[in-house]
Amino acid sequence: MERVTKEEVPSKILQALLSTDSDISVDGALENEMILNMGPQHPATHGVLRLLLRLDGETVIACVPELGYLHRGYEKMAENMTYYEFIPHTDRLDYLSPMANNVAWAMAVEKLAGIESPARAQYIRMMITELARIASHLVAIGALAMDVGALTVFLWTLREREKILDIWDILCGARFTNSYTRIGGVANDAQPEALAKVKWFIDQYEPNLDECEKLINTNRIFIERLDGVGVISAQDAIEIGFTGPNLRGSGVEFDLRRATPYLFYNEIDFNIPVYKEGDCLARYFVRADETRESIKIIRQVLDKMPQGEVLANSPKKVLPKKTEIYSKMEELIHDFMIVNFGINPPVGEVYSAVENPKGELGFYLVSNGEGRPWKCKIRSPSMVNLQALPMLVKGHMVSDVVAIIGSIDPVMGEADK
Amino acid sequence: MSVKRREKDLTLLEKIYIPEIVKGLSLTLKSMFKPKFTLKYPEEKFIPPASYRGRPVLVQEKDGHERCVACGLCSRVCPSLAIEVQAAETELEKERYPEKFEINMIRCIFCGFCEEVCPEEAIVMSKDYEMAFTNREEAIYGKDKLLVPVEQLQDRIDFLRKYK
Ligand code: SF4
Ligand code: SF4
Repeated sequence: MERVTKEEVPSKILQALLSTDSDISVDGALENEMILNMGPQHPATHGVLRLLLRLDGETVIACVPELGYLHRGYEKMAENMTYYEFIPHTDRLDYLSPMANNVAWAMAVEKLAGIESPARAQYIRMMITELARIASHLVAIGALAMDVGALTVFLWTLREREKILDIWDILCGARFTNSYTRIGGVANDAQPEALAKVKWFIDQYEPNLDECEKLINTNRIFIERLDGVGVISAQDAIEIGFTGPNLRGSGVEFDLRRATPYLFYNEIDFNIPVYKEGDCLARYFVRADETRESIKIIRQVLDKMPQGEVLANSPKKVLPKKTEIYSKMEELIHDFMIVNFGINPPVGEVYSAVENPKGELGFYLVSNGEGRPWKCKIRSPSMVNLQALPMLVKGHMVSDVVAIIGSIDPVMGEADK
Repeated sequence: MSVKRREKDLTLLEKIYIPEIVKGLSLTLKSMFKPKFTLKYPEEKFIPPASYRGRPVLVQEKDGHERCVACGLCSRVCPSLAIEVQAAETELEKERYPEKFEINMIRCIFCGFCEEVCPEEAIVMSKDYEMAFTNREEAIYGKDKLLVPVEQLQDRIDFLRKYK
């Protein structure tokens, strides 16, 4: 019998297989690429994001993010309801910072209808957007740390976030879907208890954040997992349309609060944290620093907040006060008219954008003079930021994809609208 | 201000990593002795403030009638179309009353808009947040479940008059 050497065995088997009458075809087994479906139920994709990854071994060659699993058609729904009725729907866009979305929507409608909200309402709005920014960044920081393996940080940052939700509880009566702003102001005045709680929160926040940071900022594993991973240059970031902390992590100092000051941000002294490296670590640093700046802003806002009304006095456009509805005929009629027919802003179109925790949240509204928008377009930051994913994950390991998604901090409620 | 390190700036001690583990453990150990932040829910109840938006209820006057005049404004404004009102005539001074008033608690998103627009202070948000159903029919609350005596809602009504 002919002896076969060890090296010849595979080829002999192969030949035997191929010589029989079959339709087997054999490629080089080690040259195959694999398509991996990551999500939509994968816990590390922060919601229902589906990623199609083409893998060579464990290295990502290409990636296609699939959006739309949480699509609820909010832009179309907005065309079928009054501006007032759409407020609760904005809660459900970026559901980690509903307060900030409420403010963005109210400001867009006010710009369209030409309503000026009172000073106290504007200061309250600044306070709640900054608190919402902290709440959102805390989740981002905690989730990023959890994605790369540090669970304790997640628990600690969520504990801090819980304190903010407690403030919402007192301020507006809901922890999560706040629906607090109204067109022309805010739903109810900030109670002294709520303001006292805000004061307490900002005094104790920084030591607690420091403690979280002590766990990870000098931790070699955490740093090595993020340093130099998912780098995007300033040029690319601008071309993709990055906004918010992701853009500032790439060294571009752009913040709508500074670039186009709204509310009273021009009277407030704050810094814009910028890191030039453009990797996951830089984006994490930006978020942590931003929460500290937000604390600074809230402190100034509390000092400057004037007394007074929280709803504009504009009978045909803003709902009257409750006590007046009960007792006065005219207010009663306006109440019925506004609820039934809407506020009928003049014919025209506006684009109004604010700096949300995730980036630039803009509403483009077209009115044809009726109570409902003729067209509503939502420019949501998460949607745009996610478009950079194919570029960021290319050449990295599968486990880095998780870290990169965490550092971009998408919220699918907003990306899918 | 916190320390911010990149890989190249790590000190030798941080690279060795064992001191980091000890530091992390001591931090987490310390937090074991801090006061607990969580609420042991079913035993410890969360007591909401007056501003809390629990399930919407109808205000029942002292004489047993509801305040509602069945104007339908709440069902018009409800963003999730949860309310159904059917009006009927009555001999009382208010002339109209809701023959049927239903809120679908599965649809309701607790936004508080019904309360905000009601011209009669007839529907307010209660502090009730414990709701569980085993089927969909049970989740449709009729007048029997919605009516709550005005005394029990006094602090919410005071809150509305003061802050809204
Ligand atoms: S609860 Fe108020 S708004 Fe609703 S129908 Fe009755 S009176 Fe009208
Ligand atoms: S709280 Fe909001 S969703 Fe619920 S019944 Fe009232 S208006 Fe409708």
